Amino acid sequence: MTEVTEVTIAEEQLQRPPAEVRYADELAALRAADGDPRPPGWQLSLRAARRFVVGDEQAGISRKFVGNVSLVERALVTLATNRGLMLVGEPGTAKSLLSELIAAAVSGGSELTVQGGAATTEDQIKYSWNYALLVSEGPSSRSLVPAPMLRGMAEGRIVRFEEITRCPLEVQDCLLSLLSDRVIAVPELDGPQGMVFARQGFNVIATANTRDRGVNEMSAALKRRFNFETVFPIPDFDTELALVEAEATALLRQSGVAAAPRRDVLEVLVGTFRELRGTAGRGERMSAVMSTAEAVSVAHAVGVRGWFLRGEPGGAADVVASLAGTAAKDSPEDLARLRRFLEQDVPRRKGAQWQALHDARHLLAD
Amino acid sequence: MPGTSTAVDVPPRAAGSAVFLGVRHHSPACARLVGRAIEELRPAYVLVEGPADMNDRLGELLLGHRLPVAVFSHYRDDTRVATSWAPLCDYSPEWIALREGHASGAEVRFIDLPSWHPAFAERADRHTNRYADAEARYARATERLCAQFAVDSVDALWDGLFEVTDGVDGTEGADELRARLDAYFELVRGDAEADPGDRAREEYMASWVRAAVARSGERPVLVVTGGFHQPALRALSARGDGTAGAPSWPEVPAPPEGAVGGSFLVPYSFRQLDAFAGYQSGMPSPGYYQRLWEGGAHAAAQGLLRSVAERLRTRGIPVSTADLIAARGLAQGLALMRGHAYETRVDVLDGLAGALISDDLEQPLPWTGRDTLGAGTHPVVVEMIAACAGDTEGRLHPDTPLPPLVHDVAEQLARLGLADPDGPVTLDLTEADGLTRSQVLHRLRVLGVPGFTRVSGPSDGADPVFTERWEPGPASGREAGLIEAGAYGARLDEAASTVLGERARAAGTEAGSLAGLLFDAVLCGVGPLCDELLEALAAQVGQVSELGPLGEVLTAALGLWRHDRVFGVARGRLLGAVVGGATDRVFWLAEGLHGGPGVDFARLRALAAARDALLHAPRLPSVTREAAALAAARIGRDRRAPADLRGAAFGLRWALGVPDDPATAVQALATTTASDALGDWLAGLFALAREEVTAEVTADGEPLIDVLDGVVSAMTEDDFLTGLPALRQAFAFFPPRERERVAERLLQRRGRHGSARSLLRTTADPLLLARARALEENVARLLDRHGLGAVR
Repeated sequence: MTEVTEVTIAEEQLQRPPAEVRYADELAALRAADGDPRPPGWQLSLRAARRFVVGDEQAGISRKFVGNVSLVERALVTLATNRGLMLVGEPGTAKSLLSELIAAAVSGGSELTVQGGAATTEDQIKYSWNYALLVSEGPSSRSLVPAPMLRGMAEGRIVRFEEITRCPLEVQDCLLSLLSDRVIAVPELDGPQGMVFARQGFNVIATANTRDRGVNEMSAALKRRFNFETVFPIPDFDTELALVEAEATALLRQSGVAAAPRRDVLEVLVGTFRELRGTAGRGERMSAVMSTAEAVSVAHAVGVRGWFLRGEPGGAADVVASLAGTAAKDSPEDLARLRRFLEQDVPRRKGAQWQALHDARHLLAD
Repeated sequence: MPGTSTAVDVPPRAAGSAVFLGVRHHSPACARLVGRAIEELRPAYVLVEGPADMNDRLGELLLGHRLPVAVFSHYRDDTRVATSWAPLCDYSPEWIALREGHASGAEVRFIDLPSWHPAFAERADRHTNRYADAEARYARATERLCAQFAVDSVDALWDGLFEVTDGVDGTEGADELRARLDAYFELVRGDAEADPGDRAREEYMASWVRAAVARSGERPVLVVTGGFHQPALRALSARGDGTAGAPSWPEVPAPPEGAVGGSFLVPYSFRQLDAFAGYQSGMPSPGYYQRLWEGGAHAAAQGLLRSVAERLRTRGIPVSTADLIAARGLAQGLALMRGHAYETRVDVLDGLAGALISDDLEQPLPWTGRDTLGAGTHPVVVEMIAACAGDTEGRLHPDTPLPPLVHDVAEQLARLGLADPDGPVTLDLTEADGLTRSQVLHRLRVLGVPGFTRVSGPSDGADPVFTERWEPGPASGREAGLIEAGAYGARLDEAASTVLGERARAAGTEAGSLAGLLFDAVLCGVGPLCDELLEALAAQVGQVSELGPLGEVLTAALGLWRHDRVFGVARGRLLGAVVGGATDRVFWLAEGLHGGPGVDFARLRALAAARDALLHAPRLPSVTREAAALAAARIGRDRRAPADLRGAAFGLRWALGVPDDPATAVQALATTTASDALGDWLAGLFALAREEVTAEVTADGEPLIDVLDGVVSAMTEDDFLTGLPALRQAFAFFPPRERERVAERLLQRRGRHGSARSLLRTTADPLLLARARALEENVARLLDRHGLGAVR
């Protein structure tokens, strides 16, 4: 097992170190101060794990997931039971981040991950063989190459299964016996090695997004073995604005843009995203993904345009120009929705930047 | 509860001998504290937050009703209309104070300002619930608390802190709970600046406390108010200065001259009490708290689990034993993690949601916030919320005085000579008298009070019918119906408008029913209450999703706005808002509408109505003519838009005075689309710009008709036959005289003379002509086959 401390590459060289490395200090502090009972096989108690995810200002634990606390609580309690956890939601709602954080808190590491896709096979989930050794020695525990599920079960840790619904149904269903009997049979090996029983602490966090194939096609048998949690876009305007501002500022700094994004422009941008996402209640939703992550990338684009084209932070006109790329990715209907919004809805709003947004509507191509 | 032998726990911060008990309305824990305090203190006076004008009639409340019931108050003067409810259920602290206070021999008094008082006027909604959570209006403090305790909503926070705790039964537990309550409300009130209305109410309540303290002598006074007011009330009462010589009760403010107001009891229901279903309610899920009150936290949690399972199973949604075990396990785990002594409401609901729902949700779980249930809420969640709410309905004791609506209606019917007519009543709406009588009858009809049926009369705003005929029906159910309707208001017009308002809310964005509602509102008569309905309509037309029904609303509203002479609503501001909103929405919906062939007359009417609005009421919609013309241009170009809509868009531009060249448009259409699309396109064009087309027929240049003639002449036989029905349909938009003019033009174009009218009318049966034609073709084909075709 690769311990966190064994990561040899210096952290600053990584583009994005895993959560257990990024927040190693916080995890250590929580583990040291943790007096509550821990479920068997867990590195932290439920309460400490919750604090790791939702933050605790007084203890110096940062808030890492902006969303309902009760969702995190339900997720953690589910993992302590014998059902798996299924996180569903629109793309860009931080499902993978949440699963990474929880795995880091519960098992101390988030690297046991199966990335689901059309080409995922059972080998990548359970185990495969080192064929050179297999040919020379025959099946043995040396020639066996364990995949994340087998390792998670043997070591009693959380396994993440990303985008599970993108796997073929028959591959999804190989989780069935694994989740109910909690054992993987390796028929090629004899004796006790032929059965790998799950140790305490093993469980599965799967994520699925509602845009691709959705969870409707999943077999009822597999659904029954998971508790479902829907992760929603950030409900609160101010929270989302703050998040977009923070993320966009960081991205812009990385891109060498010296000017911080303007807050009033970001307000208009986030307001537009929320409206087109349908959170604001008008009932007209874009079919393109209008997630917070997408808002951040538009804010980034706006800043880059403004800075490198004109040497300023970027304004409402850049928002319209960048939105056209987001909204009209593959659907002319979305472009029409965006235009209707700019023409009919925006003029009713007060504020100079909304006005500027309205004035820049001609930047959308017909 | 234990005996009273324990020492009276006179609280540490009593002002004089007043004991302040800050409560949350509809909280069982607070109700228990109130009962306990009365038992221990044996106060001389129990002062309760409630309308002081009810003080003479407190006996009515104690008649022995089945709870929940509510004190319904209404008020109206020239400038303001207000109605409010003060609901009481078994576990309301106010109810316990009233009942137990009375039973212990204390004098019970309501000490708050009457509901009509301007102090309540600042609340946004006119239909207020006196016992809504005051702190909801001061959300910042509670938000901070929620963040601190890492919970999602105030209700979850409240349950964990106060409702579901260990050892509330002991004296110590009660003291601790009270200390915690005080701390909570101090914090909630903390730095919040009360609005002037709340300050006025607190001043007034404090004056009652001072008077009671002055009169009570040695015995204590118990003051039961919303916890939000308690810190301020304590401070204000301690300032007691002027009461020394005058221990008389404060005066109950009387409504100003010319205003009408009053209060009476109405039956209430848990459904109305539930924050998830209604707005401005207090605590959510009254069914759960009833169980909590009766059997404690453990029984309440189990009862909730059981009733959700039963409800789901009767609805045919499978709930396996394994699911229930998982739900129970989750709930217990959550309670442990959140530090609750037993599972709270939210723990149980979270557990059930986690275990029973295996889908992605469209709406967040409602108990994570304080919203009402939105469309798209998962059916299992809907059932869970319903199980929490319970279905208990209150019933009034038979001796309860009747609501004033009954008297109001009797008086109006007698005055108008409608009390007991022998036969049908015919009313002339153009006369003031007839209109008044019609309005009264319509209001009764809207309220669902049996007795009269309208058999004829105008059916919409543009209907030129000015008489109505009503037939009397059986009057047996009328009184019962009226008493029930009394819950909607004290007077007939108020009650009718409340009902219409509720129907508007229920109709949501279904435009079909909105159009009917709009006309009902007009039939029932205008006034400030009708205004409110129109406001709601104006808000809702912006959400309608179908173009056809939206057009109906717009036509009705615009017709009334422009032409009404009977009902007095022409040029009304709010009617204008409906027109404006609907016009905007027409463009919103029309652009982006895609579909196949065929003419949808409803949507053409909608666009025509929008055209009329733009031409005759240009200041109402926020879409300007220019914007509309641009939108129309885009629709016209959109190849996926249905042909009739594209034609209508073209016509709209023409009607708005920015015509494109019809010749090129028709040519382009004829070369690119199927032959029947031309007819559809023309139908749209004629529906919107018939007059412009006719005017052009007589003008110079190459008008549309000439181009069409060219296109149609160039069609192959099959194309022509395919396109013919659509073309005929399109030209049906012209009245005969204009069709004749078109025919004249065609004759003229071919250099022929003769009666244009004869072109429009065939002398023989069209079927016969068709048969002759078919025969001729048959013959031609036969000749062709035998090589004789050239003869033709």
